[in-house]
Amino acid sequence: MDYDPMVMDDAEALGPVVKISQADSVRVKYELSNADIAFANSLRRVMLAEIPTIAIDLVEISENSSVLADEFIAHRMGLIPLNAEGVESLLYARECDCDGCCEHCSVKLLLHAKCEGDENMPVFARDLVPFGDRINQVVGTPVLSDALRQGSLILKLRPGQEIKLECIAKKGIAKEHAKWAPSAAIGFEYDPHNKLRHIDLWFETDAKTEWPPSDYAEWEEPPQEGEPFDYDAVPNRFYFNVETAGNLPPDTIVSEGIKVLQQKLAGLIHELAEDEGGDGMNGEYNGPRSPEYGTGADGFGGYTTPFGNGGNQSSWGGAGGTTPYGTTPYGAGQSQWS
Amino acid sequence: MPRAKTRKEEPVEAGSDTVMEEAPTSHQPESRDDMSVDQDENDEAGEAEEDEIEEEEEVQRVRLLPGSTPTAASFEFLNEGHTLGNALRYIIMKNPDVEFCAYAIPHPSEAKMNVRIQTFEGTTAIEALEKGLRDVQDLCDVVSDKFIDAREKFVAGASS
Repeated sequence: MDYDPMVMDDAEALGPVVKISQADSVRVKYELSNADIAFANSLRRVMLAEIPTIAIDLVEISENSSVLADEFIAHRMGLIPLNAEGVESLLYARECDCDGCCEHCSVKLLLHAKCEGDENMPVFARDLVPFGDRINQVVGTPVLSDALRQGSLILKLRPGQEIKLECIAKKGIAKEHAKWAPSAAIGFEYDPHNKLRHIDLWFETDAKTEWPPSDYAEWEEPPQEGEPFDYDAVPNRFYFNVETAGNLPPDTIVSEGIKVLQQKLAGLIHELAEDEGGDGMNGEYNGPRSPEYGTGADGFGGYTTPFGNGGNQSSWGGAGGTTPYGTTPYGAGQSQWS
Repeated sequence: MPRAKTRKEEPVEAGSDTVMEEAPTSHQPESRDDMSVDQDENDEAGEAEEDEIEEEEEVQRVRLLPGSTPTAASFEFLNEGHTLGNALRYIIMKNPDVEFCAYAIPHPSEAKMNVRIQTFEGTTAIEALEKGLRDVQDLCDVVSDKFIDAREKFVAGASS
């Protein structure tokens, strides 16, 4: 931004700062400071709902003698996290040229299990095997992040029971269905001492003793005793905790989130630039518009009342009382009657 | 079925019914006969045109709302929400040439977002919008770079 830095707060002129406090394979905790809450929230929202991943969308069950109903299992299949690395090379099924689905827009997975022992048999996500042509060998494989590398439990089978189904996994975003969410949770926190009073804490006798302090409380200056409320204060430091469901590494979720936001903006800029030529649909200032406030649609001054003062003028003198529709269905509409 | 029959007969009466005609268009009964007449009239000529317009409408996601002037305009974004709206509003408001900027989602069940921009003389609302979009993009670039830096620093710190 090339604005005069004098206009902005000193801190903001320095530009945003990112500090990572903890990171491992499932989560990244970082602090975004010198940014605005609007932007921080955009980032949170975009990471939560608009990063493309892959999830099972169609399930064809050919054999199910388990105790669970078909639709129940189908729903569980959808929620299994699948590895979304390299999902960029996959097309959205609705944008693909194929009829239904193909290797460019989907990954097929097979689950076939039968309990042949004499003990109940659990069926895990690891038993779900991709088959057929795939765009790469990683995308669409079930996430196995537990110690035993079993993945999530799908169902259990009694001796003699069998399950056989075929799944089609497609690319999508969590805005459409939460199964496409890359993050298990995103922690978003600011102002741990509640100095801005954005939170109204419920308490029995004293909020300070009853509410545990936030992890970030020691990062920020606690309020002084009897400190007056600062009416100009705005939130400035945001603490994110991005936890992955396993389909994308946590740091990738953050970078992808920013990327998605950028793509959104780039798309709009592109569209605005295209419209600059003025194709009549857009950029026309004198296009169709609703009637001006204060004049009737037919050019008459709204409706008149039997009281003689022009109707749209109240006895208070101002031009009150007109509706944007001009004549109303009630009373004497002038245009049609005369 | 009997309902459909009465509907068809109604428009004749409704035409002479002054009171109904003066109701807002949104409250007027739809007359199906009118529509079928329209279709008959521009049967083939209309078809090609309609296809073109439809295609264009599909891609067009920003629209200038009626009643806009160069320095005070309202835009309608399709398929956008608070994610973009609030950040954009904030950044546009930071522009010293902008007098006023606000956004609204008129109804939660319509995927539409409206942005109102009023500028001082010397720039137009469209320019302010475009600058706003670019500024958010620059902000994204900066945060993205800073995050990558921070990650590298963190990894270096953890391994040493």
